[in-house]
Amino acid sequence: MEKKKDKIGVYICNCGTNIAKVVDAEAVARYAATLPNVHLAKTYKYMCSNPGQEMIAEDIKENDLDRVVVAACSPNMHERTFRSALRMAGLNQYMLEMANIREQCSWVHKDRKAATKKAMALVSGAVQRVLKHEALESMSVDMNPSVLVIGGGIAGMTAALELADAGNFVHLVEKDDHLGGNIARVDLTAPYYYSAVDLLSERMTRTFEHKNIQVYLNSKLTELSGFVGNFAAKIQKQNGLSEDEAKAKEVAIGNVAICTGYKEFDASRVTHYGYGKLPNVITSFELENMLKSGKVETKEGKIPKYVAIVHCVGSRNKEFHTYCSRVCCMTALKYAHEIKSANPECYVSDVYIDMNAFGKGHEDFYRQSSKAKTLFLMYDKENRPVIHKAGPKDDCEMLIEVHERLSGEHIEIPADLVVLMVGMEARDDSHEIAHLTNISQDKDGWFIESHPKLEPVATTTDGVFIAGTCVAPKDIPDTVAQARAAAARILARISKGKIEIDAVFAEVNEDVCSGCRICNVMCPYSAIEFDEEKKKSHVISALCKACGVCVAACPSGAIKGRHFTDQQILAQIEGIFSKVEYSEPAEVS
Amino acid sequence: MAEEKQKIKMAVYWGAACGGCCVSVLDVHEALFDVVAAADLVFWPIALDTKYQDVEDMPDGFIDLTLYNGAVRNSENEHIAKLLRQKSKILVAYGSCSHMGGIPGLANFSTKEEIFDRVYHDTESTINTERVVPQPEFEVAEGVLELPVFYNDVRTLADVVEVDYFMPGCPPQTARLVEVFTAIVTGAELPPPGSVIGAGDKAQCDECSRKKTENKGVKKFYRPWEVVDDGETCFLEQGILCMGPATRTGCDFRCIQGNAPCRGCYGPTPDSTDPGAKMMSAIASVIDEKEPVAIDKVLDDLVDPAGYFYRYSLPSSYIRRKMS
Repeated sequence: MEKKKDKIGVYICNCGTNIAKVVDAEAVARYAATLPNVHLAKTYKYMCSNPGQEMIAEDIKENDLDRVVVAACSPNMHERTFRSALRMAGLNQYMLEMANIREQCSWVHKDRKAATKKAMALVSGAVQRVLKHEALESMSVDMNPSVLVIGGGIAGMTAALELADAGNFVHLVEKDDHLGGNIARVDLTAPYYYSAVDLLSERMTRTFEHKNIQVYLNSKLTELSGFVGNFAAKIQKQNGLSEDEAKAKEVAIGNVAICTGYKEFDASRVTHYGYGKLPNVITSFELENMLKSGKVETKEGKIPKYVAIVHCVGSRNKEFHTYCSRVCCMTALKYAHEIKSANPECYVSDVYIDMNAFGKGHEDFYRQSSKAKTLFLMYDKENRPVIHKAGPKDDCEMLIEVHERLSGEHIEIPADLVVLMVGMEARDDSHEIAHLTNISQDKDGWFIESHPKLEPVATTTDGVFIAGTCVAPKDIPDTVAQARAAAARILARISKGKIEIDAVFAEVNEDVCSGCRICNVMCPYSAIEFDEEKKKSHVISALCKACGVCVAACPSGAIKGRHFTDQQILAQIEGIFSKVEYSEPAEVS
Repeated sequence: MAEEKQKIKMAVYWGAACGGCCVSVLDVHEALFDVVAAADLVFWPIALDTKYQDVEDMPDGFIDLTLYNGAVRNSENEHIAKLLRQKSKILVAYGSCSHMGGIPGLANFSTKEEIFDRVYHDTESTINTERVVPQPEFEVAEGVLELPVFYNDVRTLADVVEVDYFMPGCPPQTARLVEVFTAIVTGAELPPPGSVIGAGDKAQCDECSRKKTENKGVKKFYRPWEVVDDGETCFLEQGILCMGPATRTGCDFRCIQGNAPCRGCYGPTPDSTDPGAKMMSAIASVIDEKEPVAIDKVLDDLVDPAGYFYRYSLPSSYIRRKMS
């Protein structure tokens, strides 16, 4: 056996000034160099940069290092980066430990002395821990090229076609009796007045006719088991008539794309807009229907003389949803334009909070629209307008009271038709989908990405991707981009044929397991099975997400969390509690 | 084979112990004659009239095998532990107290002062108006009298001296002792120093004949007398705390065979260092409630949890003692 060297390299990142402005990185490096087994300790401006990674790889080769500590940001951020630096140098990637001296230190402290001492303690813990690290090998499993796409809107169809065109079989599940989703309810789209039907129809036809796509209408996912590369999904037809239809169909798939979209905000929840009580207060979707039929008129069949469009209904407000629904501002401008072009005599007022025009071409669209003699009135988001019926002497149906912010005046405007720009919200059944596919939702019910910036379509469940407005409100171009991104992510994995599974998972030492079965129902991922014959529990490693629940539950220590063993954690604790000294250098001016 | 086998020299000592371990040695019954045929008992305070001075006079390494039972509670226990270490080739921590601290180790939930106050002043049957407490030294006309110093902490044998082997149990099963003794006198290959001997590597559940399912969820804990045990179902599944899942085999699940839940005297399995923490963690996992208030209510039924989970292992655990 090769002699154990245990030579550790410690790398302290300045993160520009993110770390260095609060933590004396040089002092941490000097301290690290005094720790047992530490062969060298260095600081660098950006350790995650290419030169930083190359420095680590070079050091490993030149100095024969066999363990590495990087004191930088959260391992969630850059553990993969530094693992690849280790691999580059031919070292097992699990011989790395990161000390988080940014999120857990420099970003949350102001006192330089205390923060530096804390950084030293964290580094000491990491050094002690890395000494207990074991070289681990990742596993690989076969990737089933079939894909389950949930949702038959623009996102779902786009993803399905992308995958199917590349030669993979797609099971597309849609809960309604037709494809098209929310866009099917729209007439023209902003800002270029493309017809929604045109955007959809070609896709719908191709989806239905594609030899690689099986569409399940009126259907729902009822069960998802297995793991990335090898899922089994149950698809259940709703209100199936025949016996055959009532039986859930089970399909084998390798990946899942969730494109379940949004639902519109229920406008009747905003009581003083009178939706549901005042007949001529309608939602944006109801106006779309009128525009489709080519007639914008009141319930009484009259051409409205005054139309008011109210923004942010259900959005950007503490009472309902604090977020912006992103598409309503431009849609509202589109309505103003359409109403004006149909009836130039009509007075259109646009009652808004802010005009959000961040998309491509949107600012130009806003500028053009504002020329169209629309009356823009700005209201405060915590001080909503009030809509009530007009008196017999007024020449309009309703009056809207607005505290206009720009003029500072209390204004009353007439309206025969009020259009409420209803925002987007998470679908009622989104928690069902989240539960079935083991993904998370934020406080508003939107599905959570595995990284909001760098992994916008991946989730924390491997093999489950999300795209479109089930993730957060967005417009059609962003939705399509995400659908294609999710498809691309899946295609990349299919083309590899195999999938690497992180070597960090729980495993049962069968020589020690006594078959007490305490762990059996603990696993949130159903990764534990009990072998009745051997009377032992077993962890299916590909299903395990390394959460550690079973490790904690196992009373005999038979279940080990790889890379998170008791010995590693205890060593880290011991390291953190070691005594550290730091005196601030005299101010240099 | 006329060649007479060399008899081994053997010692048995008790530190802070109840005497049960010594009785377990006596429990070999008629096999005691075989033991005596194979070993010379050179020191055994419970059975032989040998003195400490006799041990001190022995050359180093004179004794082949010493079974030290009992925890290290006072200066006398420590002194003899060190003396026997010096005089013995093989030193075995015999029984739960020397292995993990045992029942005397539960005194680590109190300080020395609290113990003295209770024992010498506060017990209902004590009248001690002069407030006399034991002193390590006391001068009388004839000279200075000495008493062992009572330590604040109860420690395990391994905390004080290097131990060759650990034989768990309260007391260790006599059959296991005979196996170990036979192995030593026949010169069988012994496991590496520091090993646990006379016990298995798995937890009690491996041998336990009670029916075990995955339905471990507990909504209420019961003490054994509160339920009519069906004699067949896993104790935990009946809401009765049982240390079996965290405890080594070696006793043939005797308590459970007697319809009493395991108390944990055989100590942790090889991959676990702190059976109390492991069992608490396991119990926390099986409580079938989600709301903090409901969980508290379930936990309220656990009488003396610290004493339960650490009944035999407090001095050897991570927490070691109550912080004063």
